[in-house]
Amino acid sequence: MRKLAFFIPFVLFIALSVFLFSGLFSNPMERESSVLNQPLPAFALPDLQQPEKIWTPDSVKGKPFLLNVWGTWCVTCNAELAYLTELREQGVMIVGLYYQQPVDAAFGEVFNLAALQQEVALKLEQQGNPYQWNILDKDRTLIFDLGVTGAPETFLIDAQGIIRYHHIGDINPQVWQQKLAAAYQSLQE
Amino acid sequence: MKYFFLSLLLITAAAQASQALVEFKSPEQQALFKELTHELRCPKCQNQNIADSNAVVAVDMRAKTLELVQQGQNKEQVLDYMKSRYGDFVHYQPPLNKFTLILWLLPALMVFGLIVLLVVRRKAERNFVASESSDKTQPQPEQQLEQQLDQLIEQYRRKS
Repeated sequence: MRKLAFFIPFVLFIALSVFLFSGLFSNPMERESSVLNQPLPAFALPDLQQPEKIWTPDSVKGKPFLLNVWGTWCVTCNAELAYLTELREQGVMIVGLYYQQPVDAAFGEVFNLAALQQEVALKLEQQGNPYQWNILDKDRTLIFDLGVTGAPETFLIDAQGIIRYHHIGDINPQVWQQKLAAAYQSLQE
Repeated sequence: MKYFFLSLLLITAAAQASQALVEFKSPEQQALFKELTHELRCPKCQNQNIADSNAVVAVDMRAKTLELVQQGQNKEQVLDYMKSRYGDFVHYQPPLNKFTLILWLLPALMVFGLIVLLVVRRKAERNFVASESSDKTQPQPEQQLEQQLDQLIEQYRRKS
């Protein structure tokens, strides 16, 4: 009994070390999304290139798709455009949700739709266009309701418009194979 | 020239005065807004509250908090609104559930363990003292020898 007590501090030390060591390799950005398995929140937002067309949850659903939150200002988003375009060529349906950064009136900034359309068209021409269409979220209302923390983020939406997966960060071959491919395939059936 | 610089001073004064201030219907709402922006956590930056951060998401959350507070919603309602979108992570006060239970139990368990340890120790100490005092009733070999030695010394003194 005395000898056993002698080992208690040692065991505690090992347990603490293992706990802290495993913490070195955990990703603090990874956490359970609170919008999972919920229908798309209500929205009515214009198409980026054809602003007279308004998208709603009912008009986007019907087929499983990826909803990719991106912006031309976001470096990582630009980096994933090429791979997303590859996925589109493999038959994956991808819809863009354009993340417009706040316009700071104090610095004389104004929102210019025509300039943005041109910028986006140019960017997609250069890097590849993975999107069936882009939804413009100028005031980030849908982005807020989806619990988006930044760009890029990607949601997997099923045919009924239910959110099945929420990925924070870019999509690359590894992420696609490990996290999204199987879920996307299972929704196809 | 002097008047030119003086007029520059006037311009900066005017610019400062034009900075937008948030207006509240009551001091309670103002206090609530302040409390909420200090307790809500920016989901993008790892450890800043939304009052402290200028990340886009923090700016949006601040604006939303302001809007909800001005609508007259109470603290719980605003927190629920944020949590339904950004999860429990977004509030610096974690709720009590099966994942966070250990946070509440661990300190209590440690105090309990400490008390048990103290009680056990004290009991052992008491037993030790008790056994020592009970030992004194029976003469030890050493004490016997000492007594014998004392007797010898006494005898020697008497003879001399």
